[in-house]
Amino acid sequence: MSDISGVREIDVAVIGGGPAGIAAAAAARKEGAERVVVFERDWEAGGILQQCIHPGFGLHMFGEELTGPEYMDRYLKQAKDAGVEFALNTMVFQMDPPVEADGRRAASFWVMNPQTGIEHVRAKAVVLAMGCRERPAGALGLAGSRPAGVYTAGTAQRFVNMEGYMPGKKVVIMGTGDIGLIMARRMVLEGAEVVAVFEIMPWVSGLRRNIAQCLDDFGIPYYLEHSVCELHGKDRLEGISVAEIGKDRKPIDGTLRFIGCDTLLLAVGLIPENELSRMAGIELDPSTNGPVVNELLQTSAECVFAAGNVVVVYDLVDFVSEAGERAGSSAALYALGKLDTGRREFAIETTPNIRVVSPQKLCGERDTTVFLRVAEPVEGRCKLWAEPGIFSQTLRYARPGEMNEVKISAQKLRELPGDVKSVKIGLEAF
Amino acid sequence: MQGRVKENGNFDVIVIGCGIVGATIARELSRYTLKAAVLEKASDIPFGASRANSSMIHGGFDDEPGSAKAKFCPKGNRMYHALYEELDFKLRKFGSYVCAKGESEERHLKKLYEQGKANGTIGMEIVSGQKLREKEPHTAPDITAALWCESGAIVNNFEATLAFIDNARQNGVSLYMETAVDGILSDESRSSVRGVSTNRGNFYAPVIINASGVYADVISRMAGDDSFIIHPTKGEYFIFDRVAGDLVTSFLFSCPSKLGKGITVTHTADDNLLIGPTSVQQTDRDNRNTTPEGLDDTFDGARRLVPGIPRNMAITTFSGVRANSNTGDFYIKALDRPRGFVNVAGIKSPGFTSAPAIAWHVTELIRENLGDVVKFEKDPAFVPERKHIPRFADLGMEERQRLASSDPKWGQIVCRCESVTEAQVVEAIRRGARTVAAVKLWVRPGTGRCQGGFCSPRVVEILARELGVSPLEITRHGGKSHMLTSKTKELLLPGKPL
Repeated sequence: MSDISGVREIDVAVIGGGPAGIAAAAAARKEGAERVVVFERDWEAGGILQQCIHPGFGLHMFGEELTGPEYMDRYLKQAKDAGVEFALNTMVFQMDPPVEADGRRAASFWVMNPQTGIEHVRAKAVVLAMGCRERPAGALGLAGSRPAGVYTAGTAQRFVNMEGYMPGKKVVIMGTGDIGLIMARRMVLEGAEVVAVFEIMPWVSGLRRNIAQCLDDFGIPYYLEHSVCELHGKDRLEGISVAEIGKDRKPIDGTLRFIGCDTLLLAVGLIPENELSRMAGIELDPSTNGPVVNELLQTSAECVFAAGNVVVVYDLVDFVSEAGERAGSSAALYALGKLDTGRREFAIETTPNIRVVSPQKLCGERDTTVFLRVAEPVEGRCKLWAEPGIFSQTLRYARPGEMNEVKISAQKLRELPGDVKSVKIGLEAF
Repeated sequence: MQGRVKENGNFDVIVIGCGIVGATIARELSRYTLKAAVLEKASDIPFGASRANSSMIHGGFDDEPGSAKAKFCPKGNRMYHALYEELDFKLRKFGSYVCAKGESEERHLKKLYEQGKANGTIGMEIVSGQKLREKEPHTAPDITAALWCESGAIVNNFEATLAFIDNARQNGVSLYMETAVDGILSDESRSSVRGVSTNRGNFYAPVIINASGVYADVISRMAGDDSFIIHPTKGEYFIFDRVAGDLVTSFLFSCPSKLGKGITVTHTADDNLLIGPTSVQQTDRDNRNTTPEGLDDTFDGARRLVPGIPRNMAITTFSGVRANSNTGDFYIKALDRPRGFVNVAGIKSPGFTSAPAIAWHVTELIRENLGDVVKFEKDPAFVPERKHIPRFADLGMEERQRLASSDPKWGQIVCRCESVTEAQVVEAIRRGARTVAAVKLWVRPGTGRCQGGFCSPRVVEILARELGVSPLEITRHGGKSHMLTSKTKELLLPGKPL
């Protein structure tokens, strides 16, 4: 058992061994950081990809279609070959605000492992890669009883794909988040009946390809502008009441109907897991629920970097890995005292039809991609631009379920007149 | 919950119901050598109104002098301030404010202040709206004055109820779960009680205490007494993420109306934000459904006190059904016929606060009136102290390390939102938790911001392992509330429809 009065010193700490963390750790080693450790609370690395046994990963990154575990294996191999150390079964349960060490800021946090107990760790730089969690049923303020059989889609996915148990036989799904769509197909493949998928918004929140491959191909109906309003059943769920939703986002009188089912799965949103970031006093963006970062993925604390779904909920894991690589490389450079954070800072401003944007700041040190999600779908040609004179592209459509990318050239940023303090990103329908 | 065994099928006293009233009475009885049993219908403790309430330990200014409520509430408040250390449940001395808007409500504050003085409430002061906002900067700007009560406190009501029954069991009281009373047994002339009949057979005792909450009038009628009626009254609540917990640091009441104490806003013992309750009478005693109207009313009412409450930070909603008696007060009475039957009924707000004082009173009542059928001898082996399962989240780093060194299960976090370790879950099961809900009430996995999304598969696995059953047998809250329905691929076996 370790002595908690001592401190374990490392160069780059990565918190979370999912796709963002593993890519970050590998990149940190490649950039030249010596002691790079991934702290993962589960007994194996991989994060949520472990339970994503369906294909569809890696098209962007590897040009082929992989399952979640296959995709993960490729990155794990890279990380192990690069000499990354894995602290498995090890949970970071407390993070302190950055401390002063050797004249620079360093990260300080506490980890626990069942075999070795509690340990105090100090890292020259840290990459936050804790991922996200699902919005629970309670957050929806559903009326009715509190029976068994109501799960978030990801919890159900864990039961089915990892534990080998079915959460029910006759399923209704609320929300068109990707995990819900994937689970609709999974439940049918496992012999359950999926009655319908309901979405409160007038548009789908997941990927279009998942609507086609998970619902349409299996004859599962989905209804937009419909919401589950009430749960029925004392012990186990016996049914739900669903209503049509009006323009005011409230149920339309007279449209409430009962549907019998023993299971309700929820795919109603993902929330970045930033409890540790809060403990460390990192600035968070209320629209992404993640840390405010620049294109180096550096947070408001100079020694703390962040990548993946802890920063902003991505649509594809490929982009999460890319972000991880960038954060890992930045963290390594910081640890080595070589990170140039630029002499300028640009705030990113957006037009109101853009709901989230990440990063939120630019320093002009690297060419980068700014990811954004529109607030509402734009069906038809539209123009995505970054001013002054940085980027312009014509899109066939823009949908909230699929992120849009704005390519930013560092060169162009650096050439902007000295009085330019912000970059404005906008989207306009033709 | 391991304890000395004094049972043998026949008891001296049977307590029906293990809410806060039944649990405090059981603990009071365990001071004596008599044999007592508590029969609880539900699978988890606490289950009824003791589970779903505002978790407030009231100062005692709200009730009319002379009423039973006015008598027991301030006394109960004082008892809690000693009991929480003795029995190791969470109680936090945050104090409370009753918030008034305008002259007529301010007049009401003065009335409450005078009532409090008459009732023996400790630590009251009327302060200006501005003074309130200095302490609670998020309260509404149109609050003109507030009644501060220093002795108002917040408990973890799950822990408190469990603490009393846990200690009672350590001192020899028997607890029977999932045991529903369906009849009262008396002698042929119906002059004295003999026991109760239940779904698990008969239990015999010459003294029966009816602490069955919303069912108290039903149970009383089984004994032939219909002197009161319970009007079940629903109240709906929201719980918010800890991030919103910091909006307030104390317990805020609206100015009370005829309907009750109105919507309250509080920082809970576990640092969440809690708002509620509504107050709606209903006929169904078991209907704890939340309603769209009730939730909206709760939220709107709370926003009149704290306008900035963010609805999108709600982590769950729930409702409780209070045992509102038609007598308008607590109804505590030993029947003359059949002798031995004692009603402890209508214990609604401030019932949780009053419970320890009521328990003491009921025990004295039995001692005085039924001393011929039950012998009250102090049990020299009685141990008043009891320890809750250590709360990993609240421990210092050294204590955490000591526990983690003692058993790897202390080093394994099961619930990341509330920092609950596997060792805590295992100990909750050892002390009697049998369902996912019971584990949650004992040690909190699933009460946090993800609401069990991450930990429920782990809790199911640990319950199954510790109880030596298949995960398919694990229920959410007893009965047929199974968490899982089959193994994967089973639905695809021949003979099953595709």
